[in-house]
Amino acid sequence: MIGGWLAGLVRHRAGRLVAVTTGVVTAVALLAAIGAFLVSSKATMTDRAIARVAVGWQVQVATGADPAQVADALAGRPGTRTTDVVGFARVPQLSASTPTPGGGTSLQTTGAGQVLGLPRRYGTDFPGQLRTLAGADTGVLVAQQTAANLHVGVGDVVAVARPGLPDAQLTVQGVVDLPQADTLFQTVGAPAGAQPTAPPDNIVLLPDDVWQQVFRPLADARPDLLTSQVHVGRNAALPPDPAAAFVAESGAARNAELTLAGGGVVGDNLAATLGAARADALYAQILFLFLGLPGAVLAGLLTTAVAGAGRQRRQREQALLRTHGATHRQVLGLAAAEATLVGVVGALTGLALAALLGRAVFGSVAFGTTPTSAAGWGALAALAGLVVAVATTLLPAERAWRAGRVVAATALPRPSRPLWARLGLDLLALAAAALVISVTSGVGYALVLAPEGVAAISVDYWAFLGPALLWIGGGLLCWRLSDLLLRRGQRPLTAALRPVAGPLAGVVAAGLGRSRVLVARAAVVLALAVAFAVSTAVFNATYEQQALVDARLTNGADVTVTEPPGVDVPPSAGSALATVPGVRAVEPLQHRYAYVGADLQDLYGVRPTTIAAATSLQDSWFTGGTAAQMMATLAATQNGVLVSAETVTDYQLHLGDSVQLRVQTSSGGPVTATFQYVGVANEFPTAPKDSFLVANSDYVASVTGNDSVGAFLLDTGGRDDPAVTAAVARVAGPGATVTPLSAAVATIGSSLSAIDLHGLTVLELGFAFAFGAAAGGLVLALGMTERRRTFAVIRALGARPRQAAVFVVGEAGVVVLLGVTFGLLLGAAMSRVLVAVLTGVFDPPPSSLAIPWGYLTGFGAAVLGSVVLACALVVGWVRGAGVALMREG
Amino acid sequence: MWRSYGRGATEITAVRGVTGQVNPGQRIALTGESGSGKTTLLHLLAGLDVPTSGAVTWPGLGLRGDRPVGIGVVFQAPSLLPALDVTDNVALPLLLAEVPPDEARRRAQDALDQLGLGALRAAAPDELSGGQGQRVAIARVLAGEPALVLADEPTGQLDHRTAEHVLDVLLAAVDALGAALVVSTHDPAVADRLDERWSMTDGLLGEPVGQGRLR
Amino acid sequence: MAIRIPAVAGSTPGDPDGAPAVVAHDLYRFYRAGGEETLALRGVSLTVRAGEVVAVTGPSGSGKSTLLALLAGLDEPDGGHVDLGGSRMSHRPEAERTLLRRRLVGVLRQSGNLIEHLDVQANVGLVQALRGRRTVPRRSVAELLELVSLSARSRALPGELSGGELARAGLAVALAGDPAVLIADEPTGELDLANERRLLSLLREVAAGGAAIVVASHSSEVADAADRVLPMADGRWVDAGEPVAA
Repeated sequence: MIGGWLAGLVRHRAGRLVAVTTGVVTAVALLAAIGAFLVSSKATMTDRAIARVAVGWQVQVATGADPAQVADALAGRPGTRTTDVVGFARVPQLSASTPTPGGGTSLQTTGAGQVLGLPRRYGTDFPGQLRTLAGADTGVLVAQQTAANLHVGVGDVVAVARPGLPDAQLTVQGVVDLPQADTLFQTVGAPAGAQPTAPPDNIVLLPDDVWQQVFRPLADARPDLLTSQVHVGRNAALPPDPAAAFVAESGAARNAELTLAGGGVVGDNLAATLGAARADALYAQILFLFLGLPGAVLAGLLTTAVAGAGRQRRQREQALLRTHGATHRQVLGLAAAEATLVGVVGALTGLALAALLGRAVFGSVAFGTTPTSAAGWGALAALAGLVVAVATTLLPAERAWRAGRVVAATALPRPSRPLWARLGLDLLALAAAALVISVTSGVGYALVLAPEGVAAISVDYWAFLGPALLWIGGGLLCWRLSDLLLRRGQRPLTAALRPVAGPLAGVVAAGLGRSRVLVARAAVVLALAVAFAVSTAVFNATYEQQALVDARLTNGADVTVTEPPGVDVPPSAGSALATVPGVRAVEPLQHRYAYVGADLQDLYGVRPTTIAAATSLQDSWFTGGTAAQMMATLAATQNGVLVSAETVTDYQLHLGDSVQLRVQTSSGGPVTATFQYVGVANEFPTAPKDSFLVANSDYVASVTGNDSVGAFLLDTGGRDDPAVTAAVARVAGPGATVTPLSAAVATIGSSLSAIDLHGLTVLELGFAFAFGAAAGGLVLALGMTERRRTFAVIRALGARPRQAAVFVVGEAGVVVLLGVTFGLLLGAAMSRVLVAVLTGVFDPPPSSLAIPWGYLTGFGAAVLGSVVLACALVVGWVRGAGVALMREG
Repeated sequence: MWRSYGRGATEITAVRGVTGQVNPGQRIALTGESGSGKTTLLHLLAGLDVPTSGAVTWPGLGLRGDRPVGIGVVFQAPSLLPALDVTDNVALPLLLAEVPPDEARRRAQDALDQLGLGALRAAAPDELSGGQGQRVAIARVLAGEPALVLADEPTGQLDHRTAEHVLDVLLAAVDALGAALVVSTHDPAVADRLDERWSMTDGLLGEPVGQGRLR
Repeated sequence: MAIRIPAVAGSTPGDPDGAPAVVAHDLYRFYRAGGEETLALRGVSLTVRAGEVVAVTGPSGSGKSTLLALLAGLDEPDGGHVDLGGSRMSHRPEAERTLLRRRLVGVLRQSGNLIEHLDVQANVGLVQALRGRRTVPRRSVAELLELVSLSARSRALPGELSGGELARAGLAVALAGDPAVLIADEPTGELDLANERRLLSLLREVAAGGAAIVVASHSSEVADAADRVLPMADGRWVDAGEPVAA
């Protein structure tokens, strides 16, 4: 029975099956494709997290243990790529005497510092640890800041103080940057709160043989100053999911510690990075739920609307089956078989489509990198597809059965106030949504809880309730308002229709009022599709905007030209860079060091009136005013300075206070100058994460007698064009380091923002586009075919084609007007809510929403285009056919 | 006059070589079994359908586009628009004929009052009984003040007493208008109340039978 | 060709032709629409024996269709009762009426007898399948199509059939469940004379096989083919007498 029924459907009702199956395919493909994206991005996060770690484990060798033995033991661990023994020596002072321009010499001394002994192959073993800025890669190397403090460069001599022994004199062979100094100088085994707030300012790196020569004599007298670490490079295969990788990795580290039996403590840098990544992964998962689920639900709604067009035929078939003695179970059995066919075929096709989309958009076919996650996502998406199939096929069959056979399918569903409307559920849902959203987007609210050192992380799933309630309440409110307007708003409706309908306006409006169930349904589906497209597009655009801001923050600008230390480059050199095609603006940025009390901080000299042209300054980087206000304040106060919040607290500063800073000069000692504290800067392009200062470049130049530029910030329009980068590098000369945006993205702090959302965006916006077109044209056309008899009667009563068209166009106009208006409002609200609730995703939080006008214009054109097409089809049909329908009994 | 439906092997010829003439004031019963072509002939007479060959002309009526003006049709099936109330349904043909909305509504209400349907003017079509629905459809024809009224089985789905009443209303309305009337029916009781009988069999029209009941 | 019908529950074995297959007693049915109450049936009684063809005639709206719906158990009377083959059909839950109907009743209408997306043989097969796997149909699908001379059109869809073929296919579907009672509502309403006669001769064959047939029609051909003709008007028999016996 069932086989024959299905075979007949497949052969002769292919259209009906294909329409519903398409809806299922869409829902499944959307979920599966986003799931595939999620899994692949989690794997990317893990890879990126691992790649960022220069040294996997820093094992602090216990006092009395032999570092070589510890290194051997660690080298034997599975997953160990390489081991290097690193010596650490704490020294009280470094000093250097250098010639002054006047012909004399000046002696610079520093505070305490650290001298490291590195094997000569360390640089190749751990390539991320050292970045050579000048001179050789190996030998006696000085950190950049130390070189600035001591006014030394390659070839100069640095004296290292050794308590109880004469200073060691070392000739500098290179100047290096230590990008991961924080990690390198961590206190191994100490909890996060007990870590040093900043790495040492003064660092000298020595080859291990030289280090042994210098410090072995100290070992007997002052063993407390010398320690050893074993740096371990790891290449163990880790699970792609950051959370699983975190668990596996930290387990391996603890196991290694056990093996060492007290010989050393493992500082697990890998686990620390993966710990941060797993929180980001959870955010990615949440993003999936927030952005993907409404789309899948919308696909289901559209399918229901499409399937609803076959309502009358279904009811006829059911009545016939009942006449021939089919029981309730048999009738439902046939419907269930149809639902299963549609669901299974739709789910399989949807998964295949998702795989194709994955290959096209993400370059990956798999739904996950592990079989488990593959099956998980596939199953979830397929389940959603089955739900859609059941909802569109089985439920209507059950409803038709309950309605009874005697009730024939009426052409027009009777308007009635649904239970939810009488109970005001829409308003309640919106009120609850507002409440939940205000709680979950408030200050101090953490959506994802990832306590350090704890394997389990958790999401506060309450946060989902806000947007979910907003969707439900918003959708229902759209229905209520549409219904209200169509029921009570005959007068304005007539007035609005008059330009199109002329004297027929009143009748068209009255007709819309009575068929308001269909009209409101079409309007609400359209509104939801518009809201989905708007919220998704705005969220994605805002996300990309913030990712760009983040990358610009790290990189300084689209392209940053960093001049080599010790070379004086005047601001005028920027004009040459400005001539490179593709460069829109060039902004010089001075880089100096200044002592705030005993604390040496980076000092940036900026031109506050023009800096905004070359890089994006975010309001969130400043406290106490917008970015524009801060720059204006700085411009107005010649000796103004922006300092970090930490400095404000440490030195109890009040706005307007005078601050004495000792600013380093390239020649001679620091000069003391008076600055005025005018504001707080938490982040600034190219600035480190810890404390720094921002001042007027003119004032810094006059104080130090030197206007040389540390870096040029170039605006290339947010694009990463290798040709422009190469051209800039040619103009900047061989000494300068040219870093494009892409270089920064690779090393960016937050692994989530490092993920390219482009694929997901393309996918989601593509689906939203299809939904919009379907909701506009398809639903409208199907709603009208349900009333084709009406149009036939109108024609038979003597309506000319143009007059009949008025009924079609009038309805389409009202549906589009209501749908687009409500959709835009709901979409705007939803965008704000998404950005507010998902603030944690953004780094930094956005100052404003980015609105993708191009996409929205295209989307609007697609919706309108589909509506116009549908109208043309219906009008054409009304014009041609019609009278034959008058024979139907 | 010929009219064929469908195509290829399943083509059905509904009306074959019918020739006839309807004069002002004439009352014609178009009789015949179901499927004999009555409905098709009426649609052709109303200008709702176009003959495959042959032609229908309306010498006494004006044309709007390719459709004749001044013909009112009472359809076999319920033909009220479910989306409009009774008054709007009756006024609709007037509005389509570009009668100003206010006047159209007034004439609609007059027509309803005339047929004793004044109480139903704000009702929705699906609140009406079958007989009421057909009477509203007749009011719709009456409001248009046509010169020719075509009624396709107007009482086909009504019980005997209701059918009688609907027929009374229809004849009274046609009287008031002084219009010609063609009613298709297979009910001899209906045919008996008209002046002339055209009988159709398998698309062929028999000789008109006058009943001599001229009033 | 004579068609045998299995003995109906409650009928006397050995006397299948004489047993009352259909008994309707004093049926009333009201409808309410638009504030007007319509008495569709007012006190209709009817007895039909196995093998008998009864034609119910009368104008549209006289109550024929209402009566047939009550006989088939598709509708419930407001007064009176219906017995089929000795089993009470009326005043039962819908589910029980459905089971009785599938065992005892075949329904043939003017149109819409077939599921449009199934071909002729699948339509007949479907109705047999609805009766469940345990009930072995007395006649195979092929035999039923042979009976109505549609063997050559067994794979045709309803939309591809002519009017006469559609009616005969509808009859094959109505007979698929071996009904003791065949209810036919205007079965020839859309047929030309030749096809009408052909269908009526088939109905006579079915009756000769032992089925009781009630056919509503306003066609004179149908009346001529029937054992008894019962004219109906305004919800009651036109002859005031009790039209029980032939």
